[in-house]
Order: sequence, then structure tokens, then C-alpha cells
Amino acid sequence: MPLLEAKNVSVQFGGLKALSNFQFTLDQGELVGLIGPNGAGKTTAFNVVTGVCPPTSGDVILDGNSIAGLPTFRINRAGLARTFQNIRLFAGLSVLENVLVAIDQSAGHDLVGTILRSPKHLRRERGQTARAMELLDTLGLADRSASLSKSLPYGDQRRLEIARALATNPRLLLLDEPAAGMNPQEKLDLMNLIRFIRDRFQIGIWLIEHDMKLVMTICERITVLDHGETISEGTPEQVQRDPKVIEAYLGEPVHQ
Amino acid sequence: MKKSEPSTPPLAHGETREPSLWLTVLRSNWTILVTLLLLWPLNWLVHDANLIDNYTRRIILLIGVSIIAAVSLQLINGTSGQFSLGHAGFMAVGAYLAAYPMKTHSAGGTNPLGVLLFYIGMFLVIGIAGLLLLALFLIIRKSGRAHPQLPTLLLLIVGVWFLWDISSAARVRDGSAPPAYLVWSRWIALLGNLFDAVAHRGITMSMPAGIGRPICFLIVLIGGGACASVAGLIVGLPTLRLRGDYLAIATLGFAEIIRVVINNSAALGGATGFTGIPRLSNFAWIYGSVVITTVVIWRIVNSGKGRTLIAVREDEIAAAAVGIDTTHYRVFAFVIGSFFAGVAGALFAHLNVYLNPTEFGFLRSVELVVMVTLGGLGSISGAIVTAAVLTLLPELLRGFSEWRMILYSLLLIVMMLVRPQGLLGSREIWPWRRGGDRKAAPPPPTKEPMHAAP
Repeated sequence: MPLLEAKNVSVQFGGLKALSNFQFTLDQGELVGLIGPNGAGKTTAFNVVTGVCPPTSGDVILDGNSIAGLPTFRINRAGLARTFQNIRLFAGLSVLENVLVAIDQSAGHDLVGTILRSPKHLRRERGQTARAMELLDTLGLADRSASLSKSLPYGDQRRLEIARALATNPRLLLLDEPAAGMNPQEKLDLMNLIRFIRDRFQIGIWLIEHDMKLVMTICERITVLDHGETISEGTPEQVQRDPKVIEAYLGEPVHQ
Repeated sequence: MKKSEPSTPPLAHGETREPSLWLTVLRSNWTILVTLLLLWPLNWLVHDANLIDNYTRRIILLIGVSIIAAVSLQLINGTSGQFSLGHAGFMAVGAYLAAYPMKTHSAGGTNPLGVLLFYIGMFLVIGIAGLLLLALFLIIRKSGRAHPQLPTLLLLIVGVWFLWDISSAARVRDGSAPPAYLVWSRWIALLGNLFDAVAHRGITMSMPAGIGRPICFLIVLIGGGACASVAGLIVGLPTLRLRGDYLAIATLGFAEIIRVVINNSAALGGATGFTGIPRLSNFAWIYGSVVITTVVIWRIVNSGKGRTLIAVREDEIAAAAVGIDTTHYRVFAFVIGSFFAGVAGALFAHLNVYLNPTEFGFLRSVELVVMVTLGGLGSISGAIVTAAVLTLLPELLRGFSEWRMILYSLLLIVMMLVRPQGLLGSREIWPWRRGGDRKAAPPPPTKEPMHAAP
């Protein structure tokens, strides 16, 4: 059984079909890419899966359970986390607190314990802080834990967003253009980071990216969208050779 | 669900066994208990030592009430970032629903049971009515899945039926028997009977007023607060989709509804005001409540709950994406905030011994918002300072008589021009930072950062 399965998903905004008959599967531990020109429906696909907008028709199945139309926070608790195209950190919180917020939700907290500072509450806060620090450490952000999240350099903000998503214990991580705005060195780091996360946490990763080098290097499978339609699917080599993809998105290779 | 094993939390100074629950709770709260105990000698100084005249004492006590209201509004407006303009409405609910049972059900402070039964009856009625409404709401929402036009239609039918029924009930009130088609009004009458049956049980508790009165007052404070937080829940639920200005207008409308209802309710004194409330609020009660309010809200803000509220304020989409039930937390802020607003109202009622609906008008709400904004959104100590200053200032400026409100407004304008983020911004006077238990310092990074690995 695949970890994530999209069955015939369509999304329509008025007369515009943002996504039509989208079919997709992703297995545990797989690293899959989603590419296509601007306005192809990539982010819409993410939004449907994460519950930001409900599908007009079709079904999304996570681990055997339908998640189509559920509110976003329930989908997250079912095991699906995401990052955003334009970084969305909690600007008023520190780096550590950004991760702590995500950890809190699975752990829960009781009001009376909070008000009385009960030992259970204090122990939980300590345990969560330790877990958050460990996660930050894993992603190389531990030394910045006390600074405000908006004061981080761009690459670190991306990394923090990933750390925050991982803190919710996902089985599937969705990355929306993680390399956008990064310089080549940061992209290289990111590539290593994505691979590392997949191996370390044994989770599925599905990413949207415009940087072809990154996508072709790390993804095992790639789906190509254009005008809401899936025009190609397969390994990076297959996709790169597909004439439809070349026409719609990649363009002809330059003659030497 | 696989995740690296969380390392064991670092224990403070090598303790081996967890001490008993009560001891630990006492250890984290003893300073508050001591503060509360210290209030009694202070209470004597303020009230009985002949050091302070009536006028000054009244201002000191009013400052306490303002602080409670401002700090509780800070949770809603500052921490959770929802702009509420209806805080005076919650205060009114607390004030009237504390003063009413105190006057009518406590038998001069000898019958705490009567007061308690009043609230039990109240909550039974609210609970049953709430369940019925919830059922109705769920049916209507479910019908939307079957057919998108159905909810509007159903709502229309139910609404018209409700209005028709109620209005015909009002018309037959003077006649003898109501016609058979009256459905809603009959349910409401039934709920009224239920309330009467519980609240006017006639069970009395003979108790000397000296002991009974503080007990009654405590029940009334908590009960008034609880009624206000139910009001907060009722406002919070339907206005959840509203943000910013729209929410402000909705809460403003709510506060006006409360005011108009009180204005027209004979049992609560109507426009002439509610009199005959015993003067029970003294320095210890008011400042004890100040301490408790501040501590509770401080701890909520500086715990996981507060972090979550800030996360929802900063970015609702991202908050939902990390598993936060944003709706739940927005209502949570309203419920807690309005609870303490209700307590402030109850204290005010027993300080002023006279309630008038005009006390809880739009201006009072605005005044509270000004306190919170001037103090700095998100700063509890800022709210305390400005609540004190802004309660004191009109009194200090009394010498300028008709000019004082102009001076006051000018001060506000200058303040906003010079320091738009408020007195303290989102910081606090005391040096502790947000983030809860400072003792749990983060462990130093031990492993190599990941990106060094291939």
C-alpha cells in the first residue's frame, strides 16, 4: 500500500481547471519531484493534499485513510507536514520556539498543569525543549536557537522551516520550492540535507522545485504538470527525454 | 512515526527521585501564596489604619479592577492578536451576574448554597440550550454536504419560524392559554422553569454572615467570571471566521447587545441601574485577584499554550500546517480573557455597589483597548502600568476640569506618534524572557551539525 495516493483529483476555481485528474502515488521513504512551468498546478496539488483547498472531485489517501477535505491541522496530525514556497515562520518566536510549537501539538498540554506549573507540566516542557534542541542540532541550527526566527539568514530560515515540519513527526514531508532564492552553495547543502532527512527519518519526501539540477540529482521519480494535466511521469532520465516535457518546460538542449 | 529517540530531559541539580506532587506544586507557587497572605496586612493599612482618605482608596481599588480587565484583554488582543472591542460587554456580564445572585440569593451572605444553586441552574439552562443549538447547527452543516443550497434554506425556515413563534408568544402573553403551535417559546419557558426549580430551591444554609459573606463573594466572583467566559465562547464561536476590523465590529456589536439587554431587563434594574449590592470588594480581594489574574495569564502566555497562540497570531496557515487547531486556540483566548473580565466586573460591582449599563458602554471597551495598546501589545507589565496610569490620569487632571479629556487625548496622540509600539513593545519590565522554565537551559550541541556530512 502506498503512503500517499491521489486518485483522480481535480480542482476547479470557477472556470479554471487548476488540476485535472491528478493521479499520484508515493511510497514510504521515496523521494519524488513535481515540476512544471509556472501556473501548472504544482502548488495546487500540494494545497489539495495538505487540506488548504478541498478537491472538487477525487480522493486523497494517506496510509489507507481518506484525507480529502479534512482541515489542515488534522491532515498534519495524520502524518503529513509541509514547508511553504514563501517561507512562513512564526516571526515573533525564537528559533527554538518555532520548533517547540510544532512539538507541542502532538504532546498536548493541560491548562491546570500550565497554571499551577505542575511537575508533569515542567517535565513535559523540559522534555520538549530537549527534543526540539536535538532536532535543531540535527539540522545544524542549535547555536542559533535563541535568536528570533526572522533574524536568520535565508538558507537557515528554510532549514528551520524544515525542522519545524519534522517536529510534527510526519511520515511524508512536502517541500514547496525549497531551493528558491538560494545560491549554489546553499543549494548543494540543501540537496545533502534532503537526502539526509529521508535516510535519517525514513520518511517520504515530495518536492516542487524549479532547479533542474537539484531535482534530477536527488529525486527517484518525477511528475511533470502542465496546465493542470500530468504530461509525464517517470525517472529523471525518462522525463528529461520526454518530448512533451521538453516542449512544455525544459526546452531544447543547447547545441555544443 | 519514526524519530530519533528523544534524549532524556536534563534534570536539575542531580535529583534522583521526583518529590511529591503537592510539594513540587507548592514549590513553584509559594511566592504567590506569600504575596496573597501579605495582602491582608496591606488591606488593614488601606482600609482601617486611617492613612488614606476615601477618595484615594477608591482610586487605588479602581486601578486594581482596571489592571485585571487590561491584563485579560492583553491575552485576547495582544497574545492571540484578535482585535476585540467588546471587553466591557464581558465585564458587564460578570458584574451583573455576580451582583444579581449576591443580592437575591445569598440572604445577606448567610446562604452560599443559594448562590451556588443560582449558577448551577444558570449553567444547566445554558448547557441544554447550547446542546440544542449545537444539534441544530450540526444538522444544518451536515445538510450542506448533501446539497449546498440546503443550509441557507434550512436556516431561513428555522429563523422565520423562530421569530414568528416568539413574536406570537409575546402577543398572547396577556391572554390566557398560548396556542398549540408555539414550540420554541414553550421550550424557552420550560428552560425558565428548570432554572427556577434549581435556583429557587429554597434550601438555605444557616451560616454567620461573617463567614458566609466571603464564601458567597468567592462563589460570585468565580460564577460571574464563568458566565462571562460562556459569553466569550458564544461570541468566539460564530465570529471565528472574522479577522481584524471585522472581528472588532462583531465584538463591539456583542457588547452593545449586552448593554441593551441589561437596559431593558427589569430584573437587572434596567436603565435606572441595579442597586443594593453589598460593598464587599476591598483591597485584599481586588489585589488578590490582580495577582492571580497576572500569574495565570503570565503562565499561559509563557507556556506551550502561549507559544501556540502567538504562532496562530503570526501565521494562521503555517500554524495549521504544524497541526494547530487554530479555531480552538482563538476561542480559548476569548474564553480565558473574558473569564477574568467577568471577575473584574464582579469586583467592580461590589466596589461601586451600584451598576448602570452606561458604565459598560463602548467607551469603556475603547479605554481598555487603549490601555493594552499603549502598554505594548503582548506585554503584561505594560498593560499593568498603563492601566494604573490611565485610571489615575483623569483623576490627576481633574484640576483642569473641562480641559482634562482634551489633555488626555493629546497625550494619547503624542504617545502614538512617539512610540507606536507602546510603552514596552512586546517586552516586559522584569528581565525574564518568554520561553517558560529558564532552568531548563538547552543542552549544548554535542554532535557535528548534519550538513558537514556528505
